[in-house]
Amino acid sequence: MIKKTLYALGAVAVLLGLYGFYSRLFIGERDVNYGSYVTWGLWVAMYLFFAGIATGAFMLATLDYLFNVRLFKGTGRYALWVALVTMPAALITIAFDLGHMERVWKVYLNPNFGAPMAQLVWGYSLFLLTVIVSLILAARWPGGLSMKLTMGIGLFLAIFLSGGVGALLGVNASRPGWHNGMLPAQFPIFSLTSGVAVMMIVIGWFTPESEIRSQRLRVLSIAMIVLILVKAYYLWTDFSLAVYSGVPDAVEGVNLILFGPYAWAFWGLQLLLGMLIPLFVLLVPRISRSAFLVGLIGVCVLIGFAVARSNIIFPALAIPELKGLIDAFHGPHLNFNYAPSLMEWSVTVGVVGLSTLAFLLGTDLLPLLKQSNEVTR
Amino acid sequence: MEQITHEEKPSADPGRRNFLRALMGAAGAAAALQVLDKLEAAPEQVAGSLVRVPQAVADADDQADVLIRMQADLARALKKQPSERRWVMVIDLRKCVGCHACTIACVAENKLPPGVVYRPVLEEEIGTYPNVTRRFVPRPCMQCERPPCVPVCPVNATYTNEEGIVEVNYNQCIGCRACLTACPYGARTSDFGYTYAEGMPNADGLILGRDSAEAYERAASYEYSQPWPRPPGKRQSPMGNARKCHFCQHRLKQGMLPECVTTCIGRATLFGDANDPDSVVAQLIKLPNVMRLKEELGTQPRVYYIV
Repeated sequence: MIKKTLYALGAVAVLLGLYGFYSRLFIGERDVNYGSYVTWGLWVAMYLFFAGIATGAFMLATLDYLFNVRLFKGTGRYALWVALVTMPAALITIAFDLGHMERVWKVYLNPNFGAPMAQLVWGYSLFLLTVIVSLILAARWPGGLSMKLTMGIGLFLAIFLSGGVGALLGVNASRPGWHNGMLPAQFPIFSLTSGVAVMMIVIGWFTPESEIRSQRLRVLSIAMIVLILVKAYYLWTDFSLAVYSGVPDAVEGVNLILFGPYAWAFWGLQLLLGMLIPLFVLLVPRISRSAFLVGLIGVCVLIGFAVARSNIIFPALAIPELKGLIDAFHGPHLNFNYAPSLMEWSVTVGVVGLSTLAFLLGTDLLPLLKQSNEVTR
Repeated sequence: MEQITHEEKPSADPGRRNFLRALMGAAGAAAALQVLDKLEAAPEQVAGSLVRVPQAVADADDQADVLIRMQADLARALKKQPSERRWVMVIDLRKCVGCHACTIACVAENKLPPGVVYRPVLEEEIGTYPNVTRRFVPRPCMQCERPPCVPVCPVNATYTNEEGIVEVNYNQCIGCRACLTACPYGARTSDFGYTYAEGMPNADGLILGRDSAEAYERAASYEYSQPWPRPPGKRQSPMGNARKCHFCQHRLKQGMLPECVTTCIGRATLFGDANDPDSVVAQLIKLPNVMRLKEELGTQPRVYYIV
């Protein structure tokens, strides 16, 4: 039933995404609302979101294939498959964000390795290759040394890439909201949290009922409780550092998140839906025994994370670098008030739909995942 | 009643000042015109370059119009090796009246499409009524000596050339906007491929109808001394690219001052080689009332403001 519903939702999402894909590929970037002042918008936030899930899922896969944690035997393939379907989603959204996406190859032929973005592009390529090799090895020689080696490399890449995304933002000294050195340290934890959330969904909704499933979900739930608390602490450090520093741009950034026009997204989605409700539900064992509910909590955490990623990106860019820039010159895409356009939403929904369908099709068609299903029994 | 008298008094002073300023401006313009006549009359070629320097510029002394002096400075600078020059811009905020002539001239010179601007003039209102004044701050690219926009480019599409100008290689740029994000001055804008003429009604029979305007807009600009047309239906550079002020490098190569300098009605924008001790700008940047924007970041802008 869950699967059928998700198939239907995925298909609807892809249909909704067709408008955005067409508009971006054949018309260009005219219908987007990001621009020269708010330089990165929803697609960059979604890139962070999907990349976080992909690297986080890989981290979870190492429990099975690298660290041989008995409880998670058989779940690694699912985690690898999640990584494989979400990393392209991340890459599609970030490619759509480029003014000249047909020139991506230049990052391979003429890279500036001093730039975090070039490091990330190369890193993602290696990571994607590692995931594919891992899946092949998981199907053929899951216990071999080559598998462990590949997973070790993948784990390093997953941590490096998660931190790298933090560095991509953190190196910008022009943005006081980002430039605090904490982001590269926080992002691997965010990825791990995303990975735990997605595995709560996968194990809760797509593996058969069994004692071992309950145990796995319990462990993941406890991990999630700890990670949410860590996330809450990070939120406090970020906001308090900004506010206590008294740097006007940094304070203004926090004010925008807490009391700005999209404060409801922070309070309602990021904090309440993404953190407080999961914390409450997971802390009560009687409620959290339901596998469906644990999966649903995974979805809530991911929604909260999507908003959290957006709240990292948009407010920091919505503050003019110089006073007076807002009114100095008017034209399209010269705006500090950013709200994603219909076309941006369309692409995002479409990409979510594509990755959902790809995941579902994999679980139904790939012998590797069917076999994994057997193992989990 | 007293209050009214009090309010009227200050308004009378600016009126007299403006009249005198206008008178001096007219005299200055007349003098400049005379010099310009001479310029056209007696061109002379700089040794070792294709740039033609008018005799009047070569003869310019401290008493000449500052534009003429800067033209002479430029001619001297162009005789040097590019790496020996250090282009700087000095903007005298005391003289800027916020006319935006520089902004518009820049748009025209570089054929900038809607949403792309190299040199906006920031306006700031200081104080509260009735003690209010306004300040205008033109903001070109700062051409930082340590530009934050350069190291973040993933494909080496932006770099500092040997003269110190931060350039964008349009054909290399992938349009990721990392440089826009990194710039502390908001000095880069992204070209989303618009034209001013699109969507406008066509006025048949007029010389400057929509079609003519669009044809003008789509004709090549010559940034970085290369043609950059904007053919309809094609999305080619500089569309999709990061764009920025480049001190009108293509004009400099031809011995001409940047467009914003030439068109500044108050001679508030000055330009030249800071390595030449006799140049106007070298003398100005030594003044104590000179500042640079966000100096605390250590970017070392090449644009100075006289305050």
